[in-house]
Amino acid sequence: MEDISLTALSEMSKFSKLTVHVSSSMMNFKNSTAPVSSLQLTADSTADDSRQQVESESKRFDDDDEDPSMFEAELALLDEVENEMKDDIPDAFGEGPESESSNSKWSRPPVPDINPAKQKIVFQQIDVDYYTGRHFPGMPGSKVGPVPIIRMYGVTMDGNSVMAHIHGYAPYFFIPAQPGFKEEHCRAFQITVALPRLIAPAKRLLEQGFTCPGYSQFGFQAYESNIDFEIRFMVDADVVGCNWIEVPAGKYHLRDRSHSDSNNDPKNPAPVSRCQIELDVSWEDFISHAPEGEWSVVAPFRILSFDIECAGRKGIFPEPDKDPVIQIANMVIKQGDKDPFVRNVFTLNTCAPVVGSQNFDLPYLINRANHLKVSNFNFLGRIKNMKSVIKESMFQSKQMGKRENKVINIEGRVQFDLLQILLRDYKLRSYTLNAVSFHFLQEQKEDVQHSIITDLQNGNDQTRRRLAVYCLKDAILPLRLLDKLMCVINYMEMARVTGVPLPYLLSRGQQIKVISQLLRKAKLQDLVIPVHKVDTGDEYEGATVIEPVKGYYNIPIATLDFSSLYPSIMMAHNLCYTTLLNQHVIQKEGLSPDEYIKTPSGNYFIKTSKRKGLLPEILEALLSARKKAKADLKKETDPFKQKVLDGRQLALKISANSVYGFTGAQVGKLPCLEISQSVTAFGRMMIEQTKNFVEEKYTVANGYKYDAKVVYGDTDSVMCKFGVETVADAMELGKEAAEYISAKFVNPIKLEFEKVYFPYLLINKKRYAGLYWTNPAKHDKMDCKGIETVRRDNSPLVANLINTCLQLILIDRDPDGAVEYAKQTISDLLCNRIDISQLVITKELTKTDDEYAGKQAHDPIYVLENNVPIDTKYYLDNQLSKPLLRIFEPILGEKKAESVLLRGDHTRTKTVVTSKVGGLMAFTQKKDKCVGCKTTLQENGIAVCKYCKPKESEIFQKEISHLHTLEEKFSRLWTQCQRCQGSLHEDVLCTSRDCPIFYMRKKVQKDLADHDKLMERFGNPIW
Amino acid sequence: MFYSTDPKPSDVGGLLTEPSNKSLITFDRTCCAYENHSEKYMLKNRNFQRQYAHLYAKRLWSMRDNVTKAAKSKWGKDVKIRKLHELQCDEKCVIIGTLFKHMDLKPSILKEISEEHNLMPQPIRSNYVDESDKLILEDELQRIILVGELDVNKSVTGAIIAVYGKEPENSRGKFHVEDYCFQELPKQIPRPTLKEDKYIAFISGLEIGGKREQTFPLQLFIDLVTGQVGDMGQQEASASIVRVVVAGNSLSVDTQDKESFNKACVDVDVMSGEFDPANYILPQQPLHRCMFPHASKYETFTTVTNPYDFSLDGVRILGTSGQPLHDIMKYSTLEDPVEIMEKCLKWGHIAPTAPDTLGCYPYFEDDPFILDICPHIFFSGNQSQFKCNTMKGPSGQQVLEISVPRFCDTATCVLVNLKSLECQPLQFQTDFNLIQNESPEVDK
Repeated sequence: MEDISLTALSEMSKFSKLTVHVSSSMMNFKNSTAPVSSLQLTADSTADDSRQQVESESKRFDDDDEDPSMFEAELALLDEVENEMKDDIPDAFGEGPESESSNSKWSRPPVPDINPAKQKIVFQQIDVDYYTGRHFPGMPGSKVGPVPIIRMYGVTMDGNSVMAHIHGYAPYFFIPAQPGFKEEHCRAFQITVALPRLIAPAKRLLEQGFTCPGYSQFGFQAYESNIDFEIRFMVDADVVGCNWIEVPAGKYHLRDRSHSDSNNDPKNPAPVSRCQIELDVSWEDFISHAPEGEWSVVAPFRILSFDIECAGRKGIFPEPDKDPVIQIANMVIKQGDKDPFVRNVFTLNTCAPVVGSQNFDLPYLINRANHLKVSNFNFLGRIKNMKSVIKESMFQSKQMGKRENKVINIEGRVQFDLLQILLRDYKLRSYTLNAVSFHFLQEQKEDVQHSIITDLQNGNDQTRRRLAVYCLKDAILPLRLLDKLMCVINYMEMARVTGVPLPYLLSRGQQIKVISQLLRKAKLQDLVIPVHKVDTGDEYEGATVIEPVKGYYNIPIATLDFSSLYPSIMMAHNLCYTTLLNQHVIQKEGLSPDEYIKTPSGNYFIKTSKRKGLLPEILEALLSARKKAKADLKKETDPFKQKVLDGRQLALKISANSVYGFTGAQVGKLPCLEISQSVTAFGRMMIEQTKNFVEEKYTVANGYKYDAKVVYGDTDSVMCKFGVETVADAMELGKEAAEYISAKFVNPIKLEFEKVYFPYLLINKKRYAGLYWTNPAKHDKMDCKGIETVRRDNSPLVANLINTCLQLILIDRDPDGAVEYAKQTISDLLCNRIDISQLVITKELTKTDDEYAGKQAHDPIYVLENNVPIDTKYYLDNQLSKPLLRIFEPILGEKKAESVLLRGDHTRTKTVVTSKVGGLMAFTQKKDKCVGCKTTLQENGIAVCKYCKPKESEIFQKEISHLHTLEEKFSRLWTQCQRCQGSLHEDVLCTSRDCPIFYMRKKVQKDLADHDKLMERFGNPIW
Repeated sequence: MFYSTDPKPSDVGGLLTEPSNKSLITFDRTCCAYENHSEKYMLKNRNFQRQYAHLYAKRLWSMRDNVTKAAKSKWGKDVKIRKLHELQCDEKCVIIGTLFKHMDLKPSILKEISEEHNLMPQPIRSNYVDESDKLILEDELQRIILVGELDVNKSVTGAIIAVYGKEPENSRGKFHVEDYCFQELPKQIPRPTLKEDKYIAFISGLEIGGKREQTFPLQLFIDLVTGQVGDMGQQEASASIVRVVVAGNSLSVDTQDKESFNKACVDVDVMSGEFDPANYILPQQPLHRCMFPHASKYETFTTVTNPYDFSLDGVRILGTSGQPLHDIMKYSTLEDPVEIMEKCLKWGHIAPTAPDTLGCYPYFEDDPFILDICPHIFFSGNQSQFKCNTMKGPSGQQVLEISVPRFCDTATCVLVNLKSLECQPLQFQTDFNLIQNESPEVDK
């Protein structure tokens, strides 16, 4: 039914661990303060520009295995291929259930009568794959044996689902012509094989070489043998991801829905999919529209978001062979609509009517179905008889670390794992659905523990209804997120720009996108791409930074940026695989020095005048398309189209930057160190030059008021202190300098003036903060780079403290106030006045929960309930001190910062908390202390000592005002939770530890009980 | 004579005559039977481990029968009364449940403390009504959105309501209200006929120690009540003031330590209020005696709960220090205190917005704010102006609703004659240059 299935971010919290640091001295077990070893989910926090993300290229392990294997084995494989039609993957086929029509509101619009001879069919495709089938009479290609047939899935503008069988396209690769062939004959052979599977063995045979009588043994190096068949097809057929396909009238065969395959007529095959329209067409006959103008629209795709609930056992993460699935909530929305039109829940047992996966859910459902021997569940795809099976795959990239993924084939439906997208595109403190929703939508859901889920399920139809509401909310939040983050639009645009099918963007790394573009360009120039053997080479020098002149600048700092620096360097200097020279070639071809360049890294490239590189061409296309998209965006008034265009320009920018990364990826498909090191070398040189230009021109000697100084420079930007005092003046000089310096560089390298920082706090390399101005009237925002605000291994206390200090320094321009605030926070910490939710450190675990058993001392709730003392020293030394010193050192000076912040009077008072657990507690006796002066009272049950008695009224009023505050907090927190859960008459069950008030509401209950006890000591209020 | 409806001519103007032996006459303070019914508002063994759901559940459970009765008498005995999970599309029926008003502007502690939002402090508002507000009805198990003939802006969270209408097939999830009702006004104990005039004085918002404290008018009030001003007629009349109720905010926000009412020869009940050194949540407990080391020696001085429920000679009096009304004003377009009090009587609940937006103790087994006996006098302290109105119930009930103004703003207290249930404000005008308002002090 749906085109894109969206799995909910599932119970990530199960995999992550929340810890609070407690004093080890009070604990029975020694190792409790040792930080839990864990895998960092985020990449190095300094990797904050997209280029670096690209640099850390990802690689799929199961991409193309090139295991050398025995010749015999390969021959055997050739035989196997004969049987391929029957069983592609063993047990992948079966008898799929027939489509059933359900509620008419849910169905797709009915298919109009189509006359294939007179009517064309136009649809937007969202996925391309292929299968092995039989030749279709009348189509091009091999007429005997199994042939590969491309399948395209899509939706028409009217919302009808379409599947097209595209016939006649065969896989191929290239080998160079044997020596002896003359250039006028040919330089390479195109080897076409019957099936994509045969490419690898054929390539191996050719590489090993063979002896032909009369010739010496010769091995052939293969070209383009590692290209995915779908990509190959899309390049040749000019199809890009998610574009519109037109099948002209009279050129296709429409499969008859009512027809069954009993007669096995090759000319009239039965439909195999669940799509409404199924057709056969030759690959030469359809029209592929470039996604521009009228063809840039998006069809009304259906997006299903679902969530399942399992009846878990206490403390154990659900396992599919034991724990039943009790509910499945579904939400289906049409792309572009506001509200989902299908909202349903399947439940086990009865349920009162409701008014109104991180790769977890799908594998669970399939495994559960297998366990229960449900034979017709696995047919989730659009191909009627194709089972969905689970494959494990490892996905590794520097960006995301090593992750195990479960891959499930659901033909014709795109699986959109929102968690994966968020992990990839956003840096957040926590990636649970709750945290993410709150971050982007300011909306939360209840978090119900697994054990409670079982209780709810085993209750009555009403408790199951409650569960269903919860389940539905889990399903709708991803849809809302998807809409807010424009994921579908952005990814579709990315697919269109880079030319790969939509699902590739999610399942594959960055490389495939560049390959696809490279192939398209290479084809135009009649070039073929070699197959690169993976080997790790030398590291090359990255971008440099100009040594920062640290400090707190209370005058405007103008920032000059090179726009798209690396792409423009590649274009300006014609850096490409096809333009790379070496001394040998230069001599052989007799090139004169003005026909080539030598890069700062010592590599040679030919100039555009002699030969234009492919990469510069790709980049030009991308950047001019981006320019156009940005121009269109300005003109567009329709908000939905604006979204499309904005997504497009973003996709284009990312793609342009990934080209450089592709050349530098050592484990990639086609790394080229000469290119990537030349690019960075040029970059470094230009930053240096810019600094010199600025400092030479803007001097008192040249008639300017001050001598300008470049205080910092990084990768593609330079921060200049012109000495002027107003933002407007700095802007004027910035603009002037940008124009003046741009003129000195090769086109299209352009230095742009973008913003002024005022004030500006320069801490270190890649660490700075400032108020960001783009117009002299008002600042746009506070901009922080590399400062501990979102790092996951920090407690929120750090982020909040640093944030507030920066605000005080930058917005209020009150560095003294910031110092005071920091001191106050440190004092609060030492006196145990910080809310525990501020101290929670979230870590993702790589090991199972068992290994952490016995470490519940870290559990914030345990800490709260048992008064376990917080290891305040840990927080001060390991969490607060470094970031605090970093931001205050430029202001106070290195030595002073430490003595003022970390050694002052405010650090002298400490509150010692007595634990309810631990050895010595059993031997102590509790005696009340005077509320006024804290001396131990001789009798229990009274409030003040005789010396404080005259001040009793005053002391009482102080305490009752504290009670007042606690009560207010109590009532506000618990009613907030009621509103969030959407029910007044039912207890709040939520245990979402991501929620900022989770610990607070627990703590206020405890504080209130304690304080109430204390108030009782004052005696009955009335007489 | 300033409050007796029937002055004896011989007593009038006595102050201006020559002294006579009559001046030795003393007037005895009129006696009056007092009974405190506020035991239910006293909290013992407070427990904060509970949540608010029980309070709502109890409220709905205890009021459902009365609301059902009212619904049947309004729409006929045979009208279908459905639980939400039994709803059938397009079937005309009555559903009964707790109202919840969803308001986007409702202050949220979550938003206030979240990291993302601490950059932008939320604007301070005095009213949170917005166009997007919507009403939801919740029964024991489910919720449904209410649309139609029910004014969102004049409804509040927490009221138990019966609505008549249907859930149309083409707009599932929304109940189209055609009519609605609340429980009928509960029974009233018959008001005894008093033989003589007896007065009760209500005063609130003294805000002693605050910036707006009205020292002189307050002294005048005290002198008046204690019989130290006026001629004998007035003194005699003063003696018939049987009780003074201080309805909250005796102290102001910025008062630290104060001992007031250190001489009282009349029974004075001091209710806790918003700014008083008492707890926050309703019911507010009596002010602690340790704060009144002098006054507490007098037997006539009592600190009482807020709300306060008592009777004098069988006249049942119920009231609050004003927080429930202030809260309703913030979350609806209702402004008139007397109108809100009338609504509360109709809703059958004196603080419906508790606990949602009004702090409240997490009651477990009862909801003491449900109106189960109809009072004769219903008052609310700390209002902006004096107002009164008599509401008549369907079975002959009569309730005098009094909005007691803040003394610090208006220098006005309210006197009610327990015999006739007539009520009059007394303003202590001390600005002698501005005698525009007719002041009872100088009206002869």
